Amino acid sequence: MYAYNQFDQTLVDQRVDQYRDQTRRYLAGEIPEAEFRVLRLMNGLYIQRLAPMLRVAIPYGLMKSHQLRTLAQISRTYDKGYGHFTTRQNMQFNWPTLESVPDILADLAKVQMHAIQTSGACIRNTTTDPFAGVSADEIEDTRPWCEMIRQWSTLHPEFAYLPRKFKIAVSGSSSDRAASQVHDIGLHLYHNEQGEMGFEVLVGGGLGRTPVIGKTVRKFLEPQELLSYLDAVLRVYNLNGRRDNKYKARIKILVNAVGIDAFAEMVEAEWQFTKGKDLRLPTAEIERVKGFFKPPNYLSVENAQSSLKAEMAAHPQFAKWYKQNTRDHKQPGYRIVVVALKNQLQAPGDVSHQQMDGIASLADQFSFAELRSTHDQNLVLADVAQRDLLSLWLKLTDLGMARANIGTLTDMINCPGLDFCSLANAETLILSRQINETFDDMDYQYELGEIQLKISGCINACGHHHVGHIGILGVEKGGKQVYQFTLGGSASNDASLGKTLGRSIDQDQVVVVIGQILDVYVQQRKTDETFLQTVRRIGFAPFKERVYGTHQRSAA
Amino acid sequence: MALIKDQQLSLSHAATPHIRFADWLDDDLVISDAVLTNGADDLACLLANANKLSVIAIEFETFADGRGFSMARMLRRDGYQGEIRAVGDVAMDRIEFMHRVGFNAFELREDQDALQALAKLGEVSVHFQPSADGKGPAYMR
Repeated sequence: MYAYNQFDQTLVDQRVDQYRDQTRRYLAGEIPEAEFRVLRLMNGLYIQRLAPMLRVAIPYGLMKSHQLRTLAQISRTYDKGYGHFTTRQNMQFNWPTLESVPDILADLAKVQMHAIQTSGACIRNTTTDPFAGVSADEIEDTRPWCEMIRQWSTLHPEFAYLPRKFKIAVSGSSSDRAASQVHDIGLHLYHNEQGEMGFEVLVGGGLGRTPVIGKTVRKFLEPQELLSYLDAVLRVYNLNGRRDNKYKARIKILVNAVGIDAFAEMVEAEWQFTKGKDLRLPTAEIERVKGFFKPPNYLSVENAQSSLKAEMAAHPQFAKWYKQNTRDHKQPGYRIVVVALKNQLQAPGDVSHQQMDGIASLADQFSFAELRSTHDQNLVLADVAQRDLLSLWLKLTDLGMARANIGTLTDMINCPGLDFCSLANAETLILSRQINETFDDMDYQYELGEIQLKISGCINACGHHHVGHIGILGVEKGGKQVYQFTLGGSASNDASLGKTLGRSIDQDQVVVVIGQILDVYVQQRKTDETFLQTVRRIGFAPFKERVYGTHQRSAA
Repeated sequence: MALIKDQQLSLSHAATPHIRFADWLDDDLVISDAVLTNGADDLACLLANANKLSVIAIEFETFADGRGFSMARMLRRDGYQGEIRAVGDVAMDRIEFMHRVGFNAFELREDQDALQALAKLGEVSVHFQPSADGKGPAYMR
């Protein structure tokens, strides 16, 4: 993966000193509250309900084992011994003190990490496919491009005070695992009919209050002009995005207001000034960055393989885990392993310091000392030789991280909700606990197949509920926490926004309703039909009848 | 009011331009080569008339209004050589970014210490982007 040179290190070190001075002046009363708020947010520091929260950047989800050890150490020293992986592939600490943040940033800088632009009205951490560079269905590795975007967007002087936050996602495979259609900018790497590699550029997607699927603003972008084109989009947005109402300030509102064709023309007009100039990426620079993402020294197929069949026969639980939590790898003899952060005892995405240290050692031992975080709040060991899978599974089991539930109902996305977040209207963690208690039969979950359940504690939609096959949105009504269900959302290639099922459900009825929805699916599905396919085929009526019909009868 | 200009504390300098760009444009009787503008003005029109101006003061009504950053950048890109002055809600924590997009003068908010602010220019000495100060992007170094 990318390694800092002296230049990168200087930037991060100086940024730590800059923030230390800002914190000092704030504590001395020299920076007004409203202004410091913006400065601290640009460094990932929120003030939550109970304590500050620091969000650490994990650029496009990639990290070295020693970096994860540092995160574990930070959680012990400055926090309560755990961290939380977010849907932007970052890590949040929920209990640091405001005064300690400069020291935390200094510790992070020692291992080439930072919290720059993890919040605020600026360009956020670029996200990508957690299987980039290893997936069997990959067209082009997205990581070098993410790194070039990271560099360009870091401390960008012109785009630090945008109308609102700005998120970019990059996908380079036939299946979109980066939710690129629900980002401010989504980039798809592909080969055109002439066989040239380039980007399809989508703009104006997003979730939040006004969920929108992104629209194509440019069908094919020559890769050398990636930054000049992004620069043009950002400048058009910075000058024209609404600033009078923060709920109407995202780029999607601008795109919808002027129309995608007019927006594309505005970008093209601006781009004429920058195309082919100093933002054009020289081939040497592209090659330099690509050089950081060369494949590791894989074993030959013969050496990487083992008697997998016999091992699975001897360990049925291992066989289930293999089927559910590992994926096809480009390299023969290797598997991609998804490490589940979705056990019954911890909130989705939460990880203890012992688990962080443990998984770091497993990465050292089995996956070239690297690991990745995913937007659905799990971890990935991307390069595991088949012969090591059984040992890895045994060790993951000891760490409580081998639950074979990836892609199933309990592999849910969950924002922290009212337990931590000052924006939330409703609790979400109680729902994940209830769901885990109610649906604890893994065989039932396997039988249901792929279901993406996504839960947000407020309309800001950090839990991506709009694109869940089943989405749950917590709202407050008359002092009571109730939950709205949506069905039929997806963040993949067939991206769609879920539609509301009906009136809100009381907290203690949420698992009941999930059960009813699943019952309808099981009764109505055709052979090999997934939950999403069934919803799309049969529509909402049978689900409404089951959920609300029953309620009305039992209430009568 | 303290003014930092061309990376120095300026003790003698012209007062803040008080003629709004829109008025300057509309009224042939207004004779001035210094105007006050902000993100609400017609930017294309400002760019077209910039060569008649020696001072363009870009106003930040609130520090969070980032339009002025792009305005300065586009003026410099068009070859404007005169003074671009940041006025309004201007504080030391933003002048480095302002400088990098092409501002060369900063009229600091009342509560700001000018010497302390001066030291903020170049606080982060390396950049990943091309900028108006002529330093190329990282890959050109």
